[in-house]
Amino acid sequence: MNELKELARHVLEVARAEGADDVVTEAINSSIAQVRFSNNQIDCINSWNEKHVALFVAVGRRVMSTDLRDLDSKDSLTREIVALAKKAPPSKTYGGIAKGKFKYRPGKIDKRIVELSDPSKYVLDAIEGAESAGANNIGGTFYVRHGRNAIASSGGACGSDESASVDLSVRAFVQPEASGHAVCCAAKLSDLDARGIGEKAGEMGVRAKNPVQGEEGKMDIIMEPLFLGSMTQSTSHMMSAMSVEIGASMYAKKIGKRVASNAITFVDDPTITSTSRRSYDHEGVPTRRNVLIKDGVFKTYLHNTSTAKRFKTKTTASAGPLIPTAYAMAAQPLPFHPVLTPGDWKLDEIIEDTKRGLYLNNTWYTRFQNSNTGEFSTIPRDAILRIENGEVVGSVKNIRISDNMMNLWKSVDALSKTAEEVYWWEEASPPSTLPIARATRMNITRSS
Amino acid sequence: MLDEDVAEATLDLAAMKADTLLAEVRLEEMNLRQISIRSGQVSNVTKSSDSGMNVRIVLSNGIGFSSSNRISKSEGARLVQEAIRQAKNAKRRSPVSLSSERAINTSWEVRQKRPLVEVSTDDKLEYLRDLDNAVMKTGVKVQGRYYEQRDYETACLFVNSEGSRIRSLLPRVVVESHNLVSSKGETEQSVREWAATGGWENVEAWALEKVLADEVRMLKRQIDKGKKVKPGVRDLVCGPEVAGIAAHESCGHPMEADRILGREMSQAGKSFVSPDMIGKKIGSRYATVIDDPTVQGSYGYYAYDQEGVKARPRYLYKEGLINEFLHNRESASMMNVQSNGASRSEFYLREPIVRMGNTFVAPGDFEEDELIGSVKDGVLMHSFTEWNIDDKRFNQKYVSREAYFVKDGELAGPARKCILEITTPAFWGAIDAASKKVVLTSGECGKGDPMQGMATDMGGPMIRLRSVMLK
Repeated sequence: MNELKELARHVLEVARAEGADDVVTEAINSSIAQVRFSNNQIDCINSWNEKHVALFVAVGRRVMSTDLRDLDSKDSLTREIVALAKKAPPSKTYGGIAKGKFKYRPGKIDKRIVELSDPSKYVLDAIEGAESAGANNIGGTFYVRHGRNAIASSGGACGSDESASVDLSVRAFVQPEASGHAVCCAAKLSDLDARGIGEKAGEMGVRAKNPVQGEEGKMDIIMEPLFLGSMTQSTSHMMSAMSVEIGASMYAKKIGKRVASNAITFVDDPTITSTSRRSYDHEGVPTRRNVLIKDGVFKTYLHNTSTAKRFKTKTTASAGPLIPTAYAMAAQPLPFHPVLTPGDWKLDEIIEDTKRGLYLNNTWYTRFQNSNTGEFSTIPRDAILRIENGEVVGSVKNIRISDNMMNLWKSVDALSKTAEEVYWWEEASPPSTLPIARATRMNITRSS
Repeated sequence: MLDEDVAEATLDLAAMKADTLLAEVRLEEMNLRQISIRSGQVSNVTKSSDSGMNVRIVLSNGIGFSSSNRISKSEGARLVQEAIRQAKNAKRRSPVSLSSERAINTSWEVRQKRPLVEVSTDDKLEYLRDLDNAVMKTGVKVQGRYYEQRDYETACLFVNSEGSRIRSLLPRVVVESHNLVSSKGETEQSVREWAATGGWENVEAWALEKVLADEVRMLKRQIDKGKKVKPGVRDLVCGPEVAGIAAHESCGHPMEADRILGREMSQAGKSFVSPDMIGKKIGSRYATVIDDPTVQGSYGYYAYDQEGVKARPRYLYKEGLINEFLHNRESASMMNVQSNGASRSEFYLREPIVRMGNTFVAPGDFEEDELIGSVKDGVLMHSFTEWNIDDKRFNQKYVSREAYFVKDGELAGPARKCILEITTPAFWGAIDAASKKVVLTSGECGKGDPMQGMATDMGGPMIRLRSVMLK
């Protein structure tokens, strides 16, 4: 870890010596192993090893960022970037980086995860579990992640962090159109019950057997955490101040306004034990618990230092990666670990209290007509169980939820007592901790 | 310059084991430049270089893929060890097999008339500001204005244990726009992308100042004058953008053989198509969809795929019949055919999987005004905003961004948020005419785990669907 801290600091010093005013460097060393499986066997085992330094520099208001991946040439590349920044056009809206004496609380990692050399055992356990529950066609992924990270900035940031986690995703088919999906995310290897996750997916697949064509109309929907994770992804990204600035948020001008039912308290909390725990944001500001929606009322956008200045407020320690990605602009404030505060319902009570509804295991492909207004649709997948008069009476297929996202959150009237961490692919992402939720009278559509 | 010695030394180590069916080594280097402006102000300027390598080992009982952002003989040796261990750990129940393909020794590149690297950051910024000014000059209230331009060159050296040696250089250029137009207290949003392989000459040819100005005027018109479509069965004329998304989503994806075989079952999903459906009816005689990575200048262009197989056009649906799947070497072997060169990887840290190149509906023999001229009561859907499809690729939805009512063969004012929610056979079965001119649009296709964004084009001519339910 000292080597990474030294690396981050070294690049910082080179950039400063070259004339940069503001500098943030983040040295990253990550190893990820992934087992991909389908049709009840392992298809491929992948691994990715990366060591690099993300670098942001500002000369006055002239900003530039890069990812230094050829570390043998880091000094010359850093000088080149500062030189380019000096010639770059100024950004009038640049608001600087965080400054202060920051203290961090690095997380503890489970060394058993780091030392795991053959992850295939867990996959075979999951497949067995799903088969024992009645599934006959099983697929998924198992990730073993280990990351080390050090940050340094001209604003005073200087720290390091380490993370290790596993996440397992199992989709189990019982019939060609009857499947269940279950996931597990764990920062401790002992918290991973691979067989149990397989069983859970298989059992859900069994409950989804013999689906019939779904009906259009208004229905209550009971959303499992996996389903809710996809809704959370869309929603929490709109809470970024940058999303508001580019007109891609239904939360524009909503601070202090009702945006959800009383039942909803929505928090971004990277400080709790989770697979996306982190000690600092990408500017080096210590992370903190941010209450974004309190009892249904919108409280704050997610901010970095620059957006906070533009919005005349303070950073929420939510600065995203310094380098733009496919899903985010450079340093775009982002949620790290959304948490929806649980309620006081048992799952059985929610089902018994539902006259006409659907129990939804999972969803995908959530898309908006206009993210400024929130009209969207999403396609439930895996088990879609039909509820009539408080009982599950069968399963359906081929439906779509076509409604408004703000309306969905305003329609939540029941949350389960328990919550679980979920993460799946690009849908339920980033990892979030969520209960089961019921939204009333959502609009169901289907192909004509 | 990617070091051949490193590739050969790594391949020697990887191919040493007697039970290795195939060993591949891929070295890549990418130089990226990116600039964006938000409401006329610089938002971000990025310049980065990335290089790395991967090793893929195929044994009879498993596949291992190991990658790193370091290129050296020692790193190559480490990756070989890791990939072999992973392949052994896979312990497949059914043996791995690959289609037999001939070794290729070649190099290829896409030429640039105006090299991307020679366009300065200042010039690119001026270009984006010109776009912003063009939008502002329309007088339309555009609250959210975000424009991004990026370009990159990817150099690749691919070697395999069967004797293939392929060098390539692929430059790509992309412009993205986000516009949020408001009028009378309402808003309309547009998110668009233009992309190509080649140099800056592509950007000049797009003429985006006019395109974006027209776009925001159109969105304002939709708000001010657009009327909802009364739900009912009507004729629908789809513009090339809508034909293209349908070609991509409800033909290209379900025809990916890895998906048909279940390899993507827990992520992007399976397919309503099964291996025995070649030759089965899926649509009318106008339902011909081609996936062709060899279209010059297209965003999805490549000459050889990332298993070293030569790219060629694939007729996925042909005159209404399911005709040919997209294959890599593993899926081709499982279906007793040859690979048709559809194996692609986003970059060196990702395994190659079955992907589309450029997917489009084949042209027909109608003029565009003929298509509209015979519609008594219908809608012309030029472009879309919200869209999605289920994971077996059977139930899809497209919501219009720009649409017009058609009455007695004439356009009759803007139609707002027209919705088509339809099954795949119903969509392809309803086409009774296609125009002569194919237009491609660009997009980043998502598939794989981790998600691999892939450069693709999609498009088609204008197509006419008879008697479909519109909402």
